[in-house]
Amino acid sequence: MLIIGERINGMFKDIGLAIREHDPKPLQEWAAKQKEGGAHYLDVNTGPNSEDQTIDLPWMVSVLKECTDLPLAIDTTNYDAMEAALIAYGKPGAIINSIGCEQEKIDRVFPMAAKYQADVVCLCINKVGIPKSAEDRVAMAMEFVANAEAYGLQPDNLFIDPIILPVNVAQEHGIEALETIRQIKMISNPPPKTTVGLSNISQKSPHRPLINRTFAVMAMTAGLDSAICDANDDALVDAIATARLILNQDIYCDSYAKVFRQR
Amino acid sequence: MALTGLDIFKQLPKTNCKDCGSPTCLAFAMAMANGKASLDMCPHATEAAKETLGAATAPPVRTVKVGVGEQEVVMGDETVLFRHDKTFYHPTALAIQISDTLSGAELDAKIEKINGLVMDRVGQKIAIDMVAVTNCSGNAATFKAAVEAVAAKANFALLLVANLEGLEAAVPAVAAKKPLLHAATAENWEKVVALAKANNCPVVVKGDGLDDTAALVEKVAAQYKELVIDFGNKQQAKTLAELINARRLAIKKKFRPFGYPLLACTVATDSKEEIVEAATYVAKYASIVCLKVDEKAQLLPLMAWRMNIYTDPQKPMAVESSKVYEIGNVGPDSPVYVCTNFALTYFAVEGEVAASKIPGYIVAVDTDGASVLTAWAAGKFVAEPIAEFIKNIGIMDKVNHNSIVIPGYVAIISGKLKEKSGLDVIVGPQEAAGIPAFAKARYPHLVK
Repeated sequence: MLIIGERINGMFKDIGLAIREHDPKPLQEWAAKQKEGGAHYLDVNTGPNSEDQTIDLPWMVSVLKECTDLPLAIDTTNYDAMEAALIAYGKPGAIINSIGCEQEKIDRVFPMAAKYQADVVCLCINKVGIPKSAEDRVAMAMEFVANAEAYGLQPDNLFIDPIILPVNVAQEHGIEALETIRQIKMISNPPPKTTVGLSNISQKSPHRPLINRTFAVMAMTAGLDSAICDANDDALVDAIATARLILNQDIYCDSYAKVFRQR
Repeated sequence: MALTGLDIFKQLPKTNCKDCGSPTCLAFAMAMANGKASLDMCPHATEAAKETLGAATAPPVRTVKVGVGEQEVVMGDETVLFRHDKTFYHPTALAIQISDTLSGAELDAKIEKINGLVMDRVGQKIAIDMVAVTNCSGNAATFKAAVEAVAAKANFALLLVANLEGLEAAVPAVAAKKPLLHAATAENWEKVVALAKANNCPVVVKGDGLDDTAALVEKVAAQYKELVIDFGNKQQAKTLAELINARRLAIKKKFRPFGYPLLACTVATDSKEEIVEAATYVAKYASIVCLKVDEKAQLLPLMAWRMNIYTDPQKPMAVESSKVYEIGNVGPDSPVYVCTNFALTYFAVEGEVAASKIPGYIVAVDTDGASVLTAWAAGKFVAEPIAEFIKNIGIMDKVNHNSIVIPGYVAIISGKLKEKSGLDVIVGPQEAAGIPAFAKARYPHLVK
């Protein structure tokens, strides 16, 4: 289970200010802090207030590349900014975050992923909206996988996101997302990877961390490989480390929670 | 790995006609991957699709049998790359070579020697499994005579190694024994396979490395499927890589041409090196290893290794319970230690008794391989069964005292055990590591 730390996002005041003033310090601090928390990737997002993403996003990537060895998840729907950021990153192993299930987006981004050797987060969503049933979500996942082959990507270069909606207003979607994750593992061999925007499940609900970590454990059981989440929510990271043990993904030791954070 | 949705989808007609009851071919493919639909629900599926999808549900490695009756050797049908993932099922068959240049008394002596390659190890019989008669003379009639002589006297299944003429001469005479024929090659495969098919014998397909062999197997498999694969071993490291890649492809990628048992012939000329080479192939997926060595002393470690590799890791390892273990130069004064037959327990105790420098007897009570506390909790290491066991094994007849030492963790059973057995029950240390200090304090007169 890969933890993609969500904190370096212009929506947060300190990061928004840092982007406006091109001050690297808050980015560096959050990179270190999230790694300590247990992050395996760092999500990088300019937030909605960026004047020009094609300038701000590559700047963020350059700053982070210098101060951390964690790979980055480049989070934008502006594909020019995405490409500029990939060029600034300049090494394989990034994650592109994200595209929806529309042919023109696939045609624009998959070649980029192949060229810069990056993985891609693929959302099970299209112009029509978010599908209700697992079946419709899996059909989109299949479309991504079929396209990947055509662009010379392996199925496991994809992180398919079934789309999580808040449990308080879209309660019936949670179980469909879990079933989608389970079925995605049967699409191909090797199967595509899976990811979720974990914090969405608890939007505007009380006890958000409890909802988040409960869902994380359920989704891991269904086959979840990664989540964009709060790497500094210790109870969440503990729950993930524990679920990995019970799923026999890590060899048990008494200090398993500590070991998980050190890897 | 079951069929994936994508594998199935590629085989479907992509009409999206809904005749199968699913809204799209894609949905139908996923339903099939889920085991909720079967291909016969699609009226438009091609024969080729049925063939491909049918083959994909077959086991990854085909089962192939050589020999008949007592001598039958079963190979293949393996499902994992690492024994700890489940277990390896069919132990590697060891085949010992006999050259057809031997005849008369020499040949008889060699057969006699090979028939003698049977041993006892931890209460089980271990032996070689095949005799590989090789056409070193190059003469078909000589080969036929040697094969018939070996078939009449050898106690093991036959592997016949010859060119087409040799095989054509020898096979019909011994077909009832279901020998394995070596080998169908790029030059002669049509005729060798026809011969194998006519006589209902399995056949080795011998190529040159991975690509070449895969292409050859594909041609052969279209006509006959009782196959064993030989990559034409020329270098040990290359052969090891070929064995690993072939088994990986068969299991992970359902690559049909490698879905057969694998054979490797040793190339080392020094007999010790040959055993090490063979041990490598035993550990890494070979179903048959063909050897030149015929010395018992050299084959025993190889057979022990094979036995260990092919034990089921999910069953606890147990030591024999039917015998009393003597540690050091025991005598009638030596202490008697009682533990369970779980291998880890026994060897911990054995090591510490040896370290105590005081010779002692160890009795490993049969607890189905459970440790002291596990067996105690399950009622297998308590007064009655232990008393019964000690009585039956007759250990107390070997000593002139009346006491046994039990593990400290089961001190609670000592009273009842004394009552049931009539022996003095001494509660030893909780950990085996405490045995040396315990023994020195208790039996100072026995310190050597």
